[in-house]
Amino acid sequence: MAELIRLDNISKSFGEQEVLDELSLTVYENEFVTLLGPSGCGKTTTLRIIGGFETPDKGRVYFDGQDITDLPPNQRHLNTVFQNYALFPHMNVGENIAFGLKVSGKSDQYIKDKVKYALNLVNLKGFENRQITELSGGQQQRIAMARAIVNEPRVLLLDEPLGALDLKLRQEMQYELVRLKKELGITFIYVTHDQEEALTMSDKVVVMNNGYIQQEGTPEQIYNEPENAFVADFIGDSNIVPGRMIKDKLVEIKGTEFPCIDGSAEGFEPGQPVDVVIRPEDIEIRPYGEGLFNGEIISKIFIGVHYEMLVKSEKGNFEWLLQNYDEHHVGQKIGMYVRPENIQIMKKPEFDDEKAMELDL
Amino acid sequence: MKKALSSIYIIIIMLFLYLPIFALMVLSFNEAKSMAVFTGFSLNWYVELFNSRLIMYAVVNTFTIAIISATVATIIGTAAVVGLDAMRPKTQNVILAANNIPMLNADIVTGISLMLFFLILRVPQGYMTILFAHITFSIPYVVLSVRPRMNRKTDRLFEAAMDLGASRKYAFRKVVLPELRPGILSGFLLAFTMSVDDFIITYFTKGAGINTISTIIYSQVKIGIRPSLFALSTIIFVVAFVALLIVNIKSKKQEVELVL
Ligand SMILES: Nc1ncnc2c1ncn2[C@@H]1O[C@H](COP(=O)(O)OP(=O)(O)OP(=O)(O)O)[C@@H](O)[C@H]1O
Ligand SMILES: [Mg+2]
Repeated sequence: MAELIRLDNISKSFGEQEVLDELSLTVYENEFVTLLGPSGCGKTTTLRIIGGFETPDKGRVYFDGQDITDLPPNQRHLNTVFQNYALFPHMNVGENIAFGLKVSGKSDQYIKDKVKYALNLVNLKGFENRQITELSGGQQQRIAMARAIVNEPRVLLLDEPLGALDLKLRQEMQYELVRLKKELGITFIYVTHDQEEALTMSDKVVVMNNGYIQQEGTPEQIYNEPENAFVADFIGDSNIVPGRMIKDKLVEIKGTEFPCIDGSAEGFEPGQPVDVVIRPEDIEIRPYGEGLFNGEIISKIFIGVHYEMLVKSEKGNFEWLLQNYDEHHVGQKIGMYVRPENIQIMKKPEFDDEKAMELDL
Repeated sequence: MKKALSSIYIIIIMLFLYLPIFALMVLSFNEAKSMAVFTGFSLNWYVELFNSRLIMYAVVNTFTIAIISATVATIIGTAAVVGLDAMRPKTQNVILAANNIPMLNADIVTGISLMLFFLILRVPQGYMTILFAHITFSIPYVVLSVRPRMNRKTDRLFEAAMDLGASRKYAFRKVVLPELRPGILSGFLLAFTMSVDDFIITYFTKGAGINTISTIIYSQVKIGIRPSLFALSTIIFVVAFVALLIVNIKSKKQEVELVL
């Protein structure tokens, strides 16, 4: 795949506050890239730098190999779907969509056809003469999409485009977006703080915190092999436990030894303290005494398809989070087993932004 | 009982507000020059009004000054708001505070200081000095009414237009200006009314030999006010009343359209 956009060591501060610190990122042609991170981590700022609405203090932005850092937004071959859509309120739907085409001096017939095509594409056939104020949130969202894509940009920037919609509509629109992207064959750079959205839609997920990229990779890599506690924690419910390497491919956690698949080859030396991530669905329940370690179920709730349980281990007195399709009872003593490939070993955090987020319950 | 009381209360308030104006209107059609007794219907005072060059000049002065000063103040004030938007928040706050002071300042202080200013610079006082003074005191009101329209949303719309390939000029004309329009309109109307209404500042900056409606009424009060001024006041009131009515009916209609 050919490189399309490259951010090279971008730094940006607002006054005293450093928002991005030497951020580098490459986006390839036809990729669906998602910037994922908690509120205030610099996602919008990154997108605005790509769009040309913000100039970085340091670093360069390349588009198709050309340095576009100092190019104003109206000379960049990309379009944006803004966080609150930013539709022009005094123009109707057709005029909104036609805006970019008019500016570039297209013929009236071309504009008319193109507007029609775009409305078809977003399933709002015949909406040309509607007023913006008459549209629902979901419809406004689609018009914002249509307005951006009629210009045939090579890259579409989307800043939490589904953030204002309710859950059901949001899921519907996720499918729509993926379909649109396939139909158009263009690059999407997508911003969200919703991890589920990021994992289901993207080719590549870029997890950010405090203006740093914590990890970038496919959704599977991000979910299964988080590189630090922050990523593991942000991507989903996890057991994040301190441990220590005993020897190659053997780790000790809370007094129990677990075979694993990481070791010296990955840079984990015997005796080294590490963090270990075990997903709650990866802890298998066995009869008492037949697993790697034993515990007692101390709470249980049913959440839709499966049960979520807290189990206090006999050794180490640690409360493990478990998910299981079968029902077990509070007070029941069980054995637990984890497959070696489901034990994810991570380096201890060196910086604050790599730590798991403090839960404010 | 409670309902009756509240109706009576409203009627009393209305009487206090409108009875004096009603009295003035009735007296403007009076035959005699009396300020107390109505002796019979006549249009004498209206005839005198339109034949009085002094009053007619004052009327023309008042409204030309109001229109020109409101227009100039609207342009300057709107430009100021646009410029402010590009500044850092701290600078904006300082300038906005400076903008608010003249509005809180007593008219008499503004009037006297403008007069001194013209005297020191040896500017001959007359039409132009009144105009200048009115532009000066109107600008803050325009800034105050346009400024709220220049918000984050407007910034985003401007960016969206740029994103779609528009030049800064085109984006401003097509997207930002329509957003500001309601603020600009109310700023203009505010400036216009402030100018028509003003007496004190006009009085100190007008010099001899020129009058506006307010200053001519004041000068006539000293020698005995003539009912032709009642006639003038009646006309002004009726015009303002009708204009207000039209505006209200129009916005009612728009509301209805929005609901449908
Ligand atoms: N124009 C600005 N002036 C001052 N500070 C700003 C400006 N824009 C952003 N910031 C600050 O920069 C930080 C990062 O902002 P950014 O909008 O990039 O976050 P984000 O990741 O998009 O968050 P969210 O998910 O809430 O949209 C925030 O702390 C914000 O307060
Ligand atoms: Mg944001």
